[in-house]
Amino acid sequence: MAAGDKPSVTEQALQDARDSLDEGFFPLEFFHDENLHDLEMERIFGQAWVFIGHESEIPEPGDYARRYIGDDAFIFVRDESGEVNLLFDSCRHRGAQVCRAEQGNTSHFRCPYHGWTYKNDGDAAGIPQKSKAFKNLDREEYGLAHVPRLETYEGLVFASLAEEGPSFEEWLGDFKWYFDVHMKLPEGGMEVIGEPHRWVIDANWKTIADNFNGDSYHTAWAHGSVLDLELGGEETVGHAGTGDSLDRHIHCDGHTTSMRGFEDEDVFLTYPEGVVEDLFTKEDLSDAQWKLARQALSFTGAIFPNFGFLHFGDTTDDPEKDVAPFFTIRKWRPLGPDKMELWSWGLAPKNAPEEFKERMYKMYTSNFGPTGNFEQDDVPIWKGITESANGQFASSQNLQLNYQMGLEWMSEMELDDEWLGPGFAYSENLEEGGMRLFHEQWYEMLAGNDRTDATGTPMNVQEDQ
Amino acid sequence: MLAEREEQLEALLVEREVEQFLYYEAELLDNRELHEWFDHVADDINYRMPRRLMRENTASVFSERGYYFNEDYGSLKARVERFDSEYAWAERPPTRTRRYVTNVRVTRDDEALAEDELFVEANLLVYLSRGDSEKHTFFSARREDVLRRRGDTFEIADREIRLDQTVLSTDNISIFL
Ligand code: FES
Ligand SMILES: [Fe+2]
Repeated sequence: MAAGDKPSVTEQALQDARDSLDEGFFPLEFFHDENLHDLEMERIFGQAWVFIGHESEIPEPGDYARRYIGDDAFIFVRDESGEVNLLFDSCRHRGAQVCRAEQGNTSHFRCPYHGWTYKNDGDAAGIPQKSKAFKNLDREEYGLAHVPRLETYEGLVFASLAEEGPSFEEWLGDFKWYFDVHMKLPEGGMEVIGEPHRWVIDANWKTIADNFNGDSYHTAWAHGSVLDLELGGEETVGHAGTGDSLDRHIHCDGHTTSMRGFEDEDVFLTYPEGVVEDLFTKEDLSDAQWKLARQALSFTGAIFPNFGFLHFGDTTDDPEKDVAPFFTIRKWRPLGPDKMELWSWGLAPKNAPEEFKERMYKMYTSNFGPTGNFEQDDVPIWKGITESANGQFASSQNLQLNYQMGLEWMSEMELDDEWLGPGFAYSENLEEGGMRLFHEQWYEMLAGNDRTDATGTPMNVQEDQ
Repeated sequence: MLAEREEQLEALLVEREVEQFLYYEAELLDNRELHEWFDHVADDINYRMPRRLMRENTASVFSERGYYFNEDYGSLKARVERFDSEYAWAERPPTRTRRYVTNVRVTRDDEALAEDELFVEANLLVYLSRGDSEKHTFFSARREDVLRRRGDTFEIADREIRLDQTVLSTDNISIFL
């Protein structure tokens, strides 16, 4: 850090921040700090399960896509036997990168430096003039390095840089119950349409993590234009805490989802009747999961630390046209304390009619991604928070962001005792416990503790603790 | 000989008309006179911006399914009208833009074209500067339009914007290209 820059966050400051989370506070300065960024890369992104891509992006042997975990570039590739690999993109000779394109298909990766070649499962295939130049080198030991751990869940591929730690299944915990509803509702599952949107923004990654962990409060205000234009229904875009909808904020094993829906109605995220009848299946879902899907109008959510999703009904790209749903997943990849790359994918039920899939993709781009009528207005806000966190003032004044909404002395927040799924469901969406839960886990990992130290108790409703 | 000359002159005049229209259009968009701009959008428009792909051996490949924009008249109109809302924060204050339209080429003998339509290719460079900051960025793109004569002006009957970036360096795309 250059001389004259603000002092770095100390252990004590971290501990204080953890303590003040119980009061619903978190320091603004933590949204722009070089040292914290380095710690986050090491202790969170070096350990956590990070989303890589969906199998449907690389359907054929040899299909590959360049993907990242933090600062590390990998090749996400399906080999000749059909297996999915994640290979570190660095030649085992002297480190040059062997994958140049964003996506493609190849049987081999060729190093441009001295010509070592690798099969698409990473094995070293050719070393020029090996018998003279590297006669005692064991080719088998010189394949491209595989990421230590790679797991696939319903086509979604996640990886971890850590050799050891919880399995992805353990990481996801009971939150799987909720994500199953998205991935298994249509027979044949979901697939990615096209290629992900990517864009780099000058904002700290925790700003968007906050947003996806249950910021129902911002929707009607930040996205008031969508409401003004009637591009989204009142219950999808309208003010949190209003209307007749069944609104729940759910925290489950460190991950969160917020939903809006209608009790005992057949909503099914406004999927058209034909799709519901022909494709939606109870087969892989419990009665309770089916009931949740049936009642749901929209879901937003996040899997710790950097995966988010939106599955919305009742939106349109044109007030004259019928509403339709969209389903989008995303990751935010930190590039620095004030920079991240957003990756955003549009999905649709694999076995839906082509025309409907196209409509869903259209709904996705109309609402989210860089051209989305919602998303256009989010990003500049996150940028602003990051900028405010940068100077002297945030730290010299010890400015604290307020996440008190939903704490017992702030509002009437109850747990829904009858809730049909795992985790804790809050009876209102006017609460910011999901964000506090995010920051608690962030703290535990940064402090070198177990992430699950943060995930056992409800974040609101003090008497339940 | 003379007839040939006249044809060339005629082509030159058409080119000039097209260029003047594109400059005028750029000015409307730079001034954020979006409704005036939208008056020049044909009601059968298809306004597309496909996602550019980056491939090992091929330049200029675009996704078959993925895009940023794929608008018809109604959805483009909604996008224009959205900016009338006081909640359309991305453009409050408006992005300061300057569009540079160059390398204009006009073709008429495309079979798909109607009598009164022209196929127009151009390069587009947009300078963007936002907020209380010295920072700026650019969009660079190739544009392929079908322009249709309407009185003494044109309307945009079809537009494909072929952006040069695969990873965008802007917060969003809250302008029209
Ligand atoms: S660095 Fe790859 S062959 Fe030498
Ligand atoms: Fe938002």
